[in-house]
Amino acid sequence: MSTNIYSFLLLRSLYQPLAAFGELSRGDPAPLAIFFRYSLWLLLLPPIFALIGGANFGWRLGAEQPLVLPLAELWLISAGYFMILAFGLVSTALISRWMAVTYAANASLGRHLALVTIVGEPLAVASVAHLFPDVLVQVLVLIPTMIWSMSLLYRGLPVVLETSPERGMLMASSLVAWLLVAAVSLLGLSMGLWVMGIGPLLGV
Amino acid sequence: MNGMWLHRKIEENTGLLIFGILFVSAIGGLVQLLPILEQDSLETAAGNTRPYSAIELTGRDIYIREGCSVCHSQQIRPLIAEVERYGPYSRAGEFVYDRPFLWGSKRTGPDLHRIGGKYTDDWHRIHLLDPRAVVPGSIMPAYPWLARREASAAGDITAKMRGLRRLGHPYTDAEIAGAEAELEDLLEIDALIAYLQMLGTGLGGEDGQ
Amino acid sequence: MEAVSNKVYHDTVVIRLIQFSVIWALLAMLGGVWLAAELIWPGLDFGQYWLSFGRLRPLHTNGVIFGFGVSALMATAFYSVQRTSHVPLFLPRLAWFCCYAWQLVVLLGGLSLLAGYNTSKEYAELEWPFDIAIAIVWVCFGVVFFGTIAMRRIRPIYISNWFYGALIIVIAMLHIVNSLALPVSPTQSYSLFAGAQDAIVQWWYGHNAVGFLLTGGFLGMLYYFLPKHAGRPIWSYRLSVLAFWAFVYSYIWAGPHHLHYNSVPEWVQSLGMVMSVVLLAPSWATMVNGIMTVSTAWEKLRTDPALKFIVLSLAFYGLATFEGPMMSIRSVNVVSHFTDWTIGHVHSGALGWNAMITYGTFYFMAPRLVGGELYSSRLANLHFWLALAGTMLYIVAMWAAGVSQGLLWLSVDDIGELSFDFKDIMASMVPYYLLRLVAGLIFLAGTFLMAYNLYMTVRGRPARRAVPPAVAPAFGVSR
Repeated sequence: MSTNIYSFLLLRSLYQPLAAFGELSRGDPAPLAIFFRYSLWLLLLPPIFALIGGANFGWRLGAEQPLVLPLAELWLISAGYFMILAFGLVSTALISRWMAVTYAANASLGRHLALVTIVGEPLAVASVAHLFPDVLVQVLVLIPTMIWSMSLLYRGLPVVLETSPERGMLMASSLVAWLLVAAVSLLGLSMGLWVMGIGPLLGV
Repeated sequence: MNGMWLHRKIEENTGLLIFGILFVSAIGGLVQLLPILEQDSLETAAGNTRPYSAIELTGRDIYIREGCSVCHSQQIRPLIAEVERYGPYSRAGEFVYDRPFLWGSKRTGPDLHRIGGKYTDDWHRIHLLDPRAVVPGSIMPAYPWLARREASAAGDITAKMRGLRRLGHPYTDAEIAGAEAELEDLLEIDALIAYLQMLGTGLGGEDGQ
Repeated sequence: MEAVSNKVYHDTVVIRLIQFSVIWALLAMLGGVWLAAELIWPGLDFGQYWLSFGRLRPLHTNGVIFGFGVSALMATAFYSVQRTSHVPLFLPRLAWFCCYAWQLVVLLGGLSLLAGYNTSKEYAELEWPFDIAIAIVWVCFGVVFFGTIAMRRIRPIYISNWFYGALIIVIAMLHIVNSLALPVSPTQSYSLFAGAQDAIVQWWYGHNAVGFLLTGGFLGMLYYFLPKHAGRPIWSYRLSVLAFWAFVYSYIWAGPHHLHYNSVPEWVQSLGMVMSVVLLAPSWATMVNGIMTVSTAWEKLRTDPALKFIVLSLAFYGLATFEGPMMSIRSVNVVSHFTDWTIGHVHSGALGWNAMITYGTFYFMAPRLVGGELYSSRLANLHFWLALAGTMLYIVAMWAAGVSQGLLWLSVDDIGELSFDFKDIMASMVPYYLLRLVAGLIFLAGTFLMAYNLYMTVRGRPARRAVPPAVAPAFGVSR
C-alpha cells in the first residue's frame, strides 16, 4: 500500500471509485489514520455548508418566508449535525465489521471505515447544496447522489472486503437496512426533541 | 425442553392450532374493546350535540360517498397549535351520532371538525365547484356533479332515518315522516353545505363556539 | 393410503391466482400513480365523479391489499400447504371457487367504490353485500386450507402454515366484528358502533388487517419460500416458535396508536403505544431468522435472481417494523400523525416488504409450476434495481414531506401565534409529490417488466404434474 493512500482516497475515490476500492483491498490502513486524514474532512463539509447557507439565506422549507435563526443557534445546529454524521459513520463502520464474520468478509476496521467514507463521499461533496438551503434544491441534488452512493456500496463492498459478490450483496442489503433504521431513528429522535421544546418552537 | 414438548402437541394437531391462534389473538381485543364498548361516557352526547337532520344526514352520506374523509380529518387534538388553527379540541361526546366515525387519518387538506360557520354558504358553493377560484394553489378536486343531482336521489332518507332510530338515534315519527319533504327542491351540494355548516357546533356552552 | 400418494398436486389454480394477482398489481399500482398525479394536477379527474380522488383512493388500497395481496397469499398458501402436507388440496373445486369468487368480489367491489358505495372505514370500505361475500369466500378458503392440513401425511404442521392459519382465522374475526352494521338499502349501511367506540373498533381492525394480512400472511410466504429458495432449513426453529406466538399475542393490542391525542380514553392510547413498542421484538426476531437463513446459503444468489428480492424485502421489513413502533410513541406521533409520513410508512411496508417478497416468490414459483426456466434473468435483475430505486425514492420523498408538514403545522412564534398558513404548507408539497410520482412510475415500470417476464415464462405451458414425495416413517401420520 502506498503511503499517500489518504490523499489518493480523498481525491480519486470521487471520480475513480473502483480504482479506490481496488487499492483498499491491497492493504489494511490504520482506522485512526483513515478517520483523521480522510473521513474527518468530508464530515466537516455538510455542517460548514449548512452554517454558511443558513446564515445567509435562512431555511426555506417551502412555505413563503424563510426561517432565519440567530447565528449562535446555527452554530449549535451545525455542531449537532457534525456529531450525528460522525456517529453515523463510525457506528456504520463498526456494525459493518461486526457483520463481517457472518459474510466471511475482511474484518479490518480501517477498511470498513474507508469503505463507508468512500460510499458517503459523494453525499458529503453534494452537500454543497446546503449553501442555498431550499428544500427543493436539497431534494434535487441529494437524492440522485444518494442513489449513486448506494450503487457504490453494492459495487464496492465485495471488492474492499474481499468476499464473493453474492455475500457482498447480502451484506450490503443488511447495511442498507441498518442505514434506513438509523435514518428513521434520527427523524423520530428529532421529533421527540422538538416536542420536548428543543429546536423549533412547536405549539404542542 | 418442556415448552417445546407442549408446542409439539399444538403443531401436530390442527384443532389445537386453530384454537390456540383464536384464543391468543382474542385476548388483546377483548381487553381493549369490551371496556370501551361498556363505557357510558363515550355514548353520552356533549353540549348541544343532536342527531343529524334529514338534510344534514343526506349531506353527511354525500361526504362519505365522495371520500372527503380520505383527505380531511374531523378530529382536533388538544394541542396549542391545533386549537389555535382549528378551534376547541374535539370531545368524544360530540361524535355519539356519528355512524361511522369520520375522524380520518390524513390531512392533505385541513381539519374540518369546526368548519361549521367559518365560511358562508356561498363560499362553500364556489369552493366545492371550483376550489381554486377561492383558494389559489389548492389541490382539492372540483365536484361539479353535486350541483346537478337532486338531494332526494342520494338514498332513501326515510329508510336511513328509520335505520338510525333502530340504532338509538332519537328521531320522532314526525321528523321521519317529514324528511322527504325537507329534501324537496334541494341539490346534493345544498345538503353537503348544510352538513358542513353544522359540523363542530355541538359543543356549545362553556368552551365557546 | 397408497392411492393418495399417487395423486397430483393441484397447481393450475395456483397459476391462475398468480395471473390474477399480477393483473391486480398492475391495475392498482397504475391507480396509485394516477392518484399521485392528481395530488399535483387536480384537474386530472376531468370532472368525472369516478376518477375523483376520494373514490379512486379506496380502489387503489383495496386493489393492492385484496386484489394483489390476497390473491398472492391464496396462491402461495395453496402451493405451500400441499407441499408441506404431502397431499393435494382438500376439495379442489372449492379452491377454484375461492379463486374466481374472490376475483369477482374484488372486481365488483372496486366498481362499487367508484360508484360511491363506501363505508369510509379504511381497508373495509366495501358495503355490506360485499362484506357477506368476503366472509363466505374466506370461510371456503379456510376449509380448503385447514382441510388439506387435516389430511396431511406428515406429522408436524410446518411453520409457514401457522402464519397462513393465523391470517385466515384472525382476519375472519376482525372482518366480522368490524363490519357489523345495519343495512338501510342494498348499497348502504350504518355502523353498529358510533363515534369513539366505532373509531376503536375500526383501528382494532385496521391495524390488524395490516398485522395479520400484510405482515402475518406474508411471513407465511417468507417461512416457506425462503428456506426453499436457500435450500436449507430455517436458521432457528425455536426462535420462530417464540416469534410466532409473541406476534399473534401482541399485534392485536396495537390498534389504538392510530388514535393518539384523539377523543378516546387515555389508557387505551397508552396501552396501544406500549404494546406497539413490544411488537418490535417478535418482528425483528423473524427478520434475524430470515437474514441468518439466507446468509448461510449465499451461493444460491448466483443462480437465482428471485432470492435477491427476498433479501431486500427483509431489509424493508426491518425498516417498517422499526418505524411503526417508533411512530406509535406519542411524542413522535404528535408530529407525524395526519402527515405524509404515514403514507411513506405504509409504502415502505407495501412496496419494500409485501411487493418485493411477492415478486421474489412469483419469480421462484412460475418456472417451477410449468417445469421450465425463467424467461429472462436479466429482466428480473433490472426489475430488482427498479424496485429498489422506486421504493427508496418513495420513502425519502414522504419522509421529507411528512416531517415538513408536521413541523410547519405545529410551528408557533415567540408570542404563540401560528407561523404558517395551512394553504402555504399544502402548496409547498408539490416537489415531494412530484418525486413520489416519479418513484411510483419507476416501481410500476418494474412491475410491468415482471408481468411480461412471467407471461413469457408460463405462456403455452400447462402446469407440471407434481406428485407428493414419500414421507420418512419417523414423521409419517399413523392413522
